Amino acid sequence: MLNIRRISTSRWWSKKKNWILFIVFIFLVFVRISKGSIYKDFYYFISKPFWPGPYQKEIILKSIEQESLIKLNLLKNDNIRLREILSLQKSLDNDNISAAVISRKTGSWWRQIILNKGSKDGVEIGSTVIGPGGLLGRVNNTSLFTSSVILLTSPESKVGVWLDRTQINGLMIGLGDEYPSLILYSKDADIKVGDFVSSSPASTLFPPNIPIGIVQSIDKSSQAKKIAKISLLAKPQVIDWVQILRVKIE
Amino acid sequence: MNKFFTKKFSIIIFIFVPIMFLWHPNWLGFVGFQPYWPLFWLLPWSMINGSINGLILGLFLGLILDSLTLDNNFTQIPGLMLCGFWFGRIKLHSDFLVGHFRYGFICALGSFLCGTLYFSQILFKNFSDSTFLLFIPSIQNILAEVFLTGFFAPLICSQLFRIFKFSGRN
Repeated sequence: MLNIRRISTSRWWSKKKNWILFIVFIFLVFVRISKGSIYKDFYYFISKPFWPGPYQKEIILKSIEQESLIKLNLLKNDNIRLREILSLQKSLDNDNISAAVISRKTGSWWRQIILNKGSKDGVEIGSTVIGPGGLLGRVNNTSLFTSSVILLTSPESKVGVWLDRTQINGLMIGLGDEYPSLILYSKDADIKVGDFVSSSPASTLFPPNIPIGIVQSIDKSSQAKKIAKISLLAKPQVIDWVQILRVKIE
Repeated sequence: MNKFFTKKFSIIIFIFVPIMFLWHPNWLGFVGFQPYWPLFWLLPWSMINGSINGLILGLFLGLILDSLTLDNNFTQIPGLMLCGFWFGRIKLHSDFLVGHFRYGFICALGSFLCGTLYFSQILFKNFSDSTFLLFIPSIQNILAEVFLTGFFAPLICSQLFRIFKFSGRN
């Protein structure tokens, strides 16, 4: 009798500590599966007093004005081209959502920002996020009050882009630093330092003609393709307010 | 209430690790880079509670941090678990000054281990002809993180070690 009792108390399930550990583990697995929604919502509430104030509006309006001028020029060119070729992507603009950046990871491996608008405000996964200057990234995950945006500089980011001067499509990949690389799959592609890069009309992820960046340098070592470093127009490390585009790409 | 706070101080600080990870304060970093925050908590905690507890809490930290980052294909769990296990085998140094610098050295090595494991996952996943483009920025990332983690560790880890030890005694 005594022996049976001793064995039964030495089993793992008879220890309270192990059960607590097991429950904590199950809870954390749930947190992992739900992609940290609970944690992000918790962070939303505790970071609320530190959100950017309205005094930044003026600076942002100035940047938006500059961005609008570039966009207008691009749209004019695009319009002329579209009148000639009628089989291009169309985008339908609806209303946009303004959101504040409440968390920012712009260094190291994880390049993402968290915004103070979530599924409650109508933010959907895949929505395009722009800031003063141009394209920032895509919404990759939403919780009730927040949404996480994967930045163009993230190693996970691959975006179809368009060289405005020569009208060539290329692929822009994030490398985990401030300057993503643009790959043009042709060794004869005409590209120069200072060329303007925008989102491609052929892209299925982003609406066309959103300003992205400027060619900063060109790597000439590759034989079969051309690789260039892009300096982004929108700087996620300093932007506090962004726009989430509710755009349907057809 | 007061007794609860002093006794569970390590757990309260544990909750703040992901918040620091999300907050990413620029004034504590260097040209956009940040130290690897979880190691500052994991090192003193594992040194006090041993390897197995370090391994388990490394897993828990990894699960939380993975849920906060968008890269679904890459995980921080292996690095943190290995570090938790390794930190648990480290004993306190008798010399005060050497002990302080040892925190920095150990955390820097831990950060290097975590960074390298994370980078190897990125390489494995994105293995193509453009892989070479990833090398320079990734090595920069690892080295910057190693430097910053090693720089801040003596200060933060020694304080946390004292707090955890004190709260454990109560």
